[in-house]
Amino acid sequence: MLVAFSGPAFAADERPAPLRLWHAYRGGEEEALEQSARLFTQQTGIEVQLLGVPYDAFSSKLQSAIPHGVGPDVFIFNHERLRSFRQMGIVAGTDDFITPGDYLPNALAALRLEGRTWGYPLSLKNLALYVNRDLVPKAPRTTQEWEQQLTRLSNGKDRFGLAYESGDFYLHAPFLFGFGGALFDPDTGRAQFDTGPMARSLAFVKGLQDRHYIPSEASGALVKSLFNDGKAAMVISGPWFAGEIDTMRIRYAVAPLPVVSETGLPMRPFLGVEAAYVSPNSKQPEQAQALARFLSVGDAALLRVKLGRQIPANVAAYETEQVRGDPLVASFRETAQHAMPMPNTLEMSRVWEPMKLALRGVLQGGVSPGEAGLLAERRYRALNRERPPDASPWPWIAGGVLLVVGAVVWAVRRPRPKQSFQKRYPDTVRALAYLAPAAAGILVLVVVPLAIGIGLSVFHYEGGQYTFVGSANFVDIVASRGYRITEPLSFYFTLAVTVLWATVNVSLHVSIGLALALLLKDPLLRFRGVYRVLLIVPWAVPNYITAMMWKGMFHRQFGAVNALLDALGIEPVSWFTHWSTAFAANVATNTWLGFPFMMVVALGALQSIPHDLYEAAEVDGASKWTQFRRITLPLLRPALLPAVILGTVWTFNMFNVIYIVSGGEPGGATDILVSDAYRWAFERNQQYGFAAAYSVLIFLVLLGYSAFTRRLTRASEEVYA
Amino acid sequence: MSATASTRTRPLWRTLAIHLALIVTCLVTLYPVLWVVKLAVSPAEQMSASANPLPDLQAIDACAAASPHSAWPRLSCALRHFAEVTTTTTSQGTWLFGRQLLNSLVVSTVSTLIGLVLAVTAAYALSRFRFPGKQLGMQSLLVTQMFPGTLMLVSLYAILERLRLLDTLTGLVLVYATTSLPFCVWMLKGYFDTIPRELEEAATMDGASSLQTFVRVVLPLARPALAVTALFSFLNAWNEYILAATLLNDEASFTLPVALKRYMGEYTVEWGKFGAGALIVSVPVMALFFALQKHLVGGLTAGGVKG
Amino acid sequence: MSEVILSGIQKAFGDNLIVKGVDLQIRSGEFLVMLGPSGCGKTTLLRLIAGLEQIDEGELRINGRRMNEVPPRDRDVAMVFQSYALYPHMTVRENMAFGLTLRKMDKAEIARRVQEAAQLLELSDLLDRKPKQLSGGQRQRVAMGRAIVRQPSIFLFDEPLSNLDTALRVQMRGELARLHRRLKATMIYVTHDQVEAMTLATRVAVFNGGLLQQCGEPLELYHRPANRFVGGFLGSPSMNFVAASRTGATLSGQGFSLPAPADLDAEVRGDLLLGLRPQDLRIAPDGVFRGEVEAVERLGFDGFAFIRTEAGSIAARFDKGVDVKVGDRVAVAPVGDAVHVFTADGTKALRHPSLPSAPTTVEMAS
Repeated sequence: MLVAFSGPAFAADERPAPLRLWHAYRGGEEEALEQSARLFTQQTGIEVQLLGVPYDAFSSKLQSAIPHGVGPDVFIFNHERLRSFRQMGIVAGTDDFITPGDYLPNALAALRLEGRTWGYPLSLKNLALYVNRDLVPKAPRTTQEWEQQLTRLSNGKDRFGLAYESGDFYLHAPFLFGFGGALFDPDTGRAQFDTGPMARSLAFVKGLQDRHYIPSEASGALVKSLFNDGKAAMVISGPWFAGEIDTMRIRYAVAPLPVVSETGLPMRPFLGVEAAYVSPNSKQPEQAQALARFLSVGDAALLRVKLGRQIPANVAAYETEQVRGDPLVASFRETAQHAMPMPNTLEMSRVWEPMKLALRGVLQGGVSPGEAGLLAERRYRALNRERPPDASPWPWIAGGVLLVVGAVVWAVRRPRPKQSFQKRYPDTVRALAYLAPAAAGILVLVVVPLAIGIGLSVFHYEGGQYTFVGSANFVDIVASRGYRITEPLSFYFTLAVTVLWATVNVSLHVSIGLALALLLKDPLLRFRGVYRVLLIVPWAVPNYITAMMWKGMFHRQFGAVNALLDALGIEPVSWFTHWSTAFAANVATNTWLGFPFMMVVALGALQSIPHDLYEAAEVDGASKWTQFRRITLPLLRPALLPAVILGTVWTFNMFNVIYIVSGGEPGGATDILVSDAYRWAFERNQQYGFAAAYSVLIFLVLLGYSAFTRRLTRASEEVYA
Repeated sequence: MSATASTRTRPLWRTLAIHLALIVTCLVTLYPVLWVVKLAVSPAEQMSASANPLPDLQAIDACAAASPHSAWPRLSCALRHFAEVTTTTTSQGTWLFGRQLLNSLVVSTVSTLIGLVLAVTAAYALSRFRFPGKQLGMQSLLVTQMFPGTLMLVSLYAILERLRLLDTLTGLVLVYATTSLPFCVWMLKGYFDTIPRELEEAATMDGASSLQTFVRVVLPLARPALAVTALFSFLNAWNEYILAATLLNDEASFTLPVALKRYMGEYTVEWGKFGAGALIVSVPVMALFFALQKHLVGGLTAGGVKG
Repeated sequence: MSEVILSGIQKAFGDNLIVKGVDLQIRSGEFLVMLGPSGCGKTTLLRLIAGLEQIDEGELRINGRRMNEVPPRDRDVAMVFQSYALYPHMTVRENMAFGLTLRKMDKAEIARRVQEAAQLLELSDLLDRKPKQLSGGQRQRVAMGRAIVRQPSIFLFDEPLSNLDTALRVQMRGELARLHRRLKATMIYVTHDQVEAMTLATRVAVFNGGLLQQCGEPLELYHRPANRFVGGFLGSPSMNFVAASRTGATLSGQGFSLPAPADLDAEVRGDLLLGLRPQDLRIAPDGVFRGEVEAVERLGFDGFAFIRTEAGSIAARFDKGVDVKVGDRVAVAPVGDAVHVFTADGTKALRHPSLPSAPTTVEMAS
């Protein structure tokens, strides 16, 4: 299948084809995997081809590739997605090959579904408490002890007793469980948010933050640097954090999370299991199973410990000298015993977004711990649409046929023009020859996908199955079912944000671009070329890089913007916690990236205005401002308008900036229509049909806009008439 | 020239004000770029809070002091991330970065060429010939730009699979060439509209066939627009990430943006490598921009042909 | 031999009939000027001959061969465009050689022809320049050079001088005439400028509203216009037209009457239209048209007075010695029997002043 540039993949015929192994590892974990794969090749003679995939493209790539038979033989993923993988049919059962006794029981249990096992557990991921041994001689056993220590270790400014990524529900879960909360209703299995333990756990964490025991809005990077600088005495994190610690400076130990004094319950973290899955479409199923199994036991497990600092799921590994003498592994193994295996249910995957909303709402202020549960509950309901009832496709098919018949009738009965076809369109044959290649390309790779996209909008997708639901998706969107129209998830709210987004951006692009063009227009201006070159730099930077760059610039702790504010004596701003600042950050990014285009267009347009018009105006006694208003602006219109229209369409669909910079924060309020559609398709249970309906609506909005601007364009052409 | 007159009459303070305004804008514009440079040359992997966009020389010195064996300690510290990014290899030991750079170059160049050939002929037909459905065609080209691209991913995948072009750079080239077509066709059509028809008629009278006229008269005249259009489709292909990450299944066939994206992990971002990678990815594009910037103004706004 | 015959040519753009059926025979070696106001179809006709447009109806023959379906390159015609249409990206040399290179002509021969044409047009020093670096007149000459090197049997000119200033235009007119004498090729020349037509043409074809009005030698058209349009279009200031009716031996109209010319057919009676060239009128106290002078144009040697009479405004020439002022009441009279008589609707001439002139062939459009 690897047709072009496939390198040494084509081995001699008698040797088996290489096995393909996909993963999203980096650093030591990747290295351990590479070495294990090499060992496998040495022992079996079967080549292994590794592919590291960017993590955010990994699951969508698996979902597309495996059903088409072009995916990997083996892939590595955590167990949370097991159920959705199973529904899509992209994992194979492993019961015939696996030796259950090889693994820790709770790790194996995580991979069981429908009474069968679906992978080989590789490693465990759970949370524990890292402590700086110089600052914390004895790890806290209870939260009471803990709070005493925190008081001592924090100075209310830049020293913190504890640091962890408090905005992430994965890290908050131990608090919830410690306060006796249950994430799922034991009777119905449905997620529940509005509970007492939820409120108490949130209030507890909020209390830690209010007393400056923990930094607010900590990111992984901040946690790491605080701990390495000795400014955070304790950290809640997983085994991967060990690799980040600067052992030259910091002596550390790992301890289980404390017991919540109020309830007497331990803070139980989630247990995540990373597993090697086998694709059901592998052409060499036995070899693939062998590889997956090989990676999970023996030397591979030891390599994983040594290089990747991962906690093996393999029982035998713990018998070896190497692992026994490893305090990190030992401590994590111990904490793993109390850990709560993360359910591999669909319900679990629905919890994250509502919980993130609630958690950030409380920590960033604005929502009281008591209200947060309700907030999450509402978001949960909005996100998890009930499957619409099936509809009969016949009325639609009939409607389609009627439309076609109508069109044919209209075409046939249309009054014939006087002249023959040949005379009206003398170049048809030539035009066909010139257009055919482009038209064919556009048809196959643009129009067909677009038509399929539009077609999807009348289907509902669930678990690998499309069912016809008619207009239900549209009705749900337009009727804003499940949420008020003033809430971030509603189509109208998002539409309003999008329109505002496009308007603000395009006006800024045009005004900045025009202002610069006016400054640069004088051909005798010194260094004109230099200025121009410097000012188009943003255009040359790929826009996802721009977005990443600005995301970093607006970083709460390390961002240059806050550093600048700080230098000016202004209180640093937490950019992504309020709608207005998050929106402003997006706008700043997009303005930076978009003004050069308008500047160049305006520059070209300015140069095309005859200079004698200005002289005439000067003779008439017009002031500079009048000249600008009465000559420059009207004459710029015809050149600027198409650019503005195009710019508006681009901005309207500017996915990268929104998705990367604000990520829709806070709570999806800065999402625009495209990024929302993307989330429905890829982040909210693969609701392709619903997302397609969204896209169709976006499309209609833009179509309306373009019809409107066509009239504008026509009017502006008359300026020159 | 009347512009001369206006410069002469402009008071000094205004000239200074203009320069001041431009310098400030340039600084604001370059600030984020400098910041990335700083990320790239700082020996540390992480960001540090500072408003100063210039490289942290102390950190480099500290790093240099820690590695006295190197011949050029400072330089090797400053270029550490670049070295890390450019020397990646596959598990088989082939030079991965070189391969990916080559992929990016080949994919971008070839898709630009194909896209340009297709766009140029189509745009010429739309600009010059009379045939049925012309208006409709132009409108629908614009309309395709309005459908959010990410939603076409799923169906595009299936189509390429049917065509046996999945996981090939050929497939990627075709996708890039066609997805940027609508925009290219629009741009070029606008420019062709400004070329006087009489030139083509003169060529016809001189005995040129339709194709000869197109190749020997129209195309040379459209050079500025061709340059700009080529630049756009090159940029489009060079920068694209999601399609490449989804459609390619082999590290050796990845393009640079996919490779670069790997430095932004789920848990941490390797800022230093990201910065170095971002610079490496952006530099060729910037070079192209600077080479073509003279054409940019004219090509975009269809200055037309004079004389 | 390169004779062009147009028969029943029609051309429409959309629903707009531009050329409404033209019959015209252009003789070999002739300099034919197609003259008419803008929109009269003359340029379209030229483009039909060139092959740039398809003929809807009728037939075009060149040297006896039907050309309707023949592509331009095989018609052996060259064309000079109003805007010159020089290829901006080629040097003068390349511009001139382009057509020959396309025909895969021998390189040495191309160089020879370009050299020759450049000499003829005094372009030898400019061969390596781009059109942008040339003046208007030079560009014009390059455009002609491009046609000349091809050595076609027919040259087509589409208002080639209209973008030049007056002095250059006079000069280029001279060069064109010289060129025609030298090359002896058939030339078809479209213009709306009657001076160009009068000075260059062997014959002039006057068009209006998509129809050929009259075709003949310049002076013949001037002296014997076939209808009111031709009479009015040629000559400056325009011919004066006054409505009149014939009763017996007199022609009378609003506020005037004059004796009918002796040679006016006796059958012609009733309402008529008289055409009087300003040059054929003189100011005389006993003049038949009386009125007040509205405007005076003095050109030095002579001048024109514009007089408001009961029959309408009338322009009349006066000699330099005559003293006419605005506001004067004067009377003018035709010199001798210099009166053109047309049917009342102006479509047909009935009588021209008798002048010593060549035998006439008056062609009439339907």
